[in-house]
Amino acid sequence: MMEKGKNITHSSKDYPFYYLLEPSIIKLSNKFLRGKLKMSKKLVSSLLCVVMAASIFVGCGKQANQPNQGETPGTEGNTSTQGANLTLWSIATESDAFHSAYTRAIADFEEANAGVKVKHETFENQSYKTKIKSAVAANELPDIFFTWGGGFSRPFIDAGKVLPLDDYFAPYQGQISDAALSNVMYDGKLYGSTFTTPLSAIFYNKKLFDDNGIKVPTNWDEFIAACKTLKDNGITPIGISAKDTWVIAMTHDNLVLKSAGPEKVNAALTKSGQSYNDADFINASAKLRELIDMGAFPEGAAGLSNDEASAMFYNGTAAMYTTGSWMAGSIQTDPENPEDFDVYPFPAVGGNGKATDLMGGATDSFMVNAATPNKDIAAKAAFEITKGISKYAYLDGAGIAAWQVDYDDSPVPELTKKVAELASTATSFTIWYDTLMEAEDAGEYLTLLQELYMGNISPEDFAKGMDNQLSK
Amino acid sequence: MDSVRRNKLAIFLFILPALILFASIIILPIFMSGYYSLLKWDGITKGTFIGFSNYLELFTSKSAGFQRTFINAFLLAFLSVFIQLPISLGLALLLSKGVKGEGFFVSVFFVPVLISTVVIGQLWMKIYNPEYGIINVTLRAIGLSKWAKPWLGTQETALGAVFVPILWQYVGYHMLLMYAGIKSISNDYREAAKIDGATEWQIARHIIIPMIKPVLKISVIFAVTGSLKAFDLIYVLTNGGPAHASEVPSTLMVDMIFGRNRYGFGSSIAIFIIFLCFFFAIGIQKAFKTEVE
Repeated sequence: MMEKGKNITHSSKDYPFYYLLEPSIIKLSNKFLRGKLKMSKKLVSSLLCVVMAASIFVGCGKQANQPNQGETPGTEGNTSTQGANLTLWSIATESDAFHSAYTRAIADFEEANAGVKVKHETFENQSYKTKIKSAVAANELPDIFFTWGGGFSRPFIDAGKVLPLDDYFAPYQGQISDAALSNVMYDGKLYGSTFTTPLSAIFYNKKLFDDNGIKVPTNWDEFIAACKTLKDNGITPIGISAKDTWVIAMTHDNLVLKSAGPEKVNAALTKSGQSYNDADFINASAKLRELIDMGAFPEGAAGLSNDEASAMFYNGTAAMYTTGSWMAGSIQTDPENPEDFDVYPFPAVGGNGKATDLMGGATDSFMVNAATPNKDIAAKAAFEITKGISKYAYLDGAGIAAWQVDYDDSPVPELTKKVAELASTATSFTIWYDTLMEAEDAGEYLTLLQELYMGNISPEDFAKGMDNQLSK
Repeated sequence: MDSVRRNKLAIFLFILPALILFASIIILPIFMSGYYSLLKWDGITKGTFIGFSNYLELFTSKSAGFQRTFINAFLLAFLSVFIQLPISLGLALLLSKGVKGEGFFVSVFFVPVLISTVVIGQLWMKIYNPEYGIINVTLRAIGLSKWAKPWLGTQETALGAVFVPILWQYVGYHMLLMYAGIKSISNDYREAAKIDGATEWQIARHIIIPMIKPVLKISVIFAVTGSLKAFDLIYVLTNGGPAHASEVPSTLMVDMIFGRNRYGFGSSIAIFIIFLCFFFAIGIQKAFKTEVE
């Protein structure tokens, strides 16, 4: 059906049903016109319905074909930057902390490049993950799209749907560090640009710490002691959600990193000759169990969503929360007294880990469709817009700037600056494990983690389970 | 008109639009899923054909946890048929007898069906909240604080806690079906039975229930197939957790496809759900038929 609709012009003869319909219309209507006029009216109108239905199909067919025509690589768009219309997909919906930064960055870009229009379409995070995958499969990607670096975009690169950006990067050399771009490098080629370097740290309620005479812990023993004091004083030490599994993963990722060290973690999770079934990894999981068993987490955390759990932190029911730097932005708006909150790095747990080895790194990326007709300007836009978002989002306190800060940053909230300081002293960055690992392994990781949290499996079983999955 | 009905071409033409829609939206995707279920495929790159390995994994792999979801779905189906439907039937019988404010009550019981499931999920999440949820607050207020639990957060209670709203939500739906069925029965039967001295219970048991059997059949089919493909409320309330305790086949399918990029394996779950739904729909039809004879 759809196939036939491909070459439609506006002549009625081209309706796909036309030849089918013709004899029957004539035959039937002739029959009824000889006397049963009433009937024929009904019949003709019904037939009209059929024709209309058919035209709907034709319409569908035509529409579905349109993007294809637009996307054929066609003429080399080398000089035709003027009047280019670019489409950008992202997850910066209006409620997103980055939304206003996107808007301003795009406006700046349009101003600097007369004649170029950027159409920004936004989607909700979770559904976007599905949308982007199906768009890649159906060749319906926009010119520029938001995606996540690391394992998530690996299949897109392998399928050849993303434009390598090395040739376009020269003007920006030195304005953004190689470390920030490491998650969009695939097989030695640059495939994207990024705007923020999130990292995870422990946010804490300064007031609760002071009231209970607790100093900021610098090692694991102090950390445990702090939890104990808080617990004894009737305060939930750490807020956590085990229903939204990424939140326990934030804590567990840190424990593993600070116990095994970045090299070992990378080698194990990317299947490069390091078994997960190793004392350092088991030690990290055992530390998580230690925290659970001492009651450091709220009761029933397995049924709490991240929103519910972080609300407990904001209202002072829980004293600490391990999560990404984006919380620094939320703290400016959500709790009653934003000045009560502060941040410190996750302490080292022993083994090879250091406190300055941080979880995080830039994964929020823009990539360019390999089939876009406006390669030059789209690549330029990817860099320019991410650079703009980096600046505006940092000024808003929404994210840590991935690009060089060559502007006045005095309006940046204190807490965000503190996180940025942590980032600048980092000795290494390791991206969240569910991004670092391939999707299938990440899914197993999160599932096993929940089992570990519920006490269904021991830390040893956890390590064995991960080893099984990673050596598949 | 009769001559049109006899005209094969006309028949063909008239059913064609609906047939094409039906085939392209329902039949074709089923067959495509059937094909995908034989692949090891991440949804983007080219899949490799692996025969029935996905199905084998479905039934043998312990870590995939399919057996658990299977049992959960059947438990839900069982509860739907033996708890939800009797409640609906009871309400329908009561209301159709002509209670004061009949229309009002019918609307009230039907309201949960009209509200978006996500809203209901949020509502029950608040009811179950361990800190301020109405259940725990009430229990603490009447001195039963040791019974207060994080309902959605422990493995023992999570399954039960998600089943309650599911059963509750559709009581009104089945009630409305049955109520309409009962209302369509002529009052003469009831009056005749009354004259013969039948009690209300006897009228319900021997006259009304046998006469609305076709409606009951539909209700049972909806309840069973609805349970086998239950998804939305569970997704909102627990997302299958904690640790798979409230996982059902469709939440597992979503996790496999969108969480782990395992389109092939996810499709095999989809095919299995479709198969079960058809199997039970036909089985229940048959069961009701033999009973009528």
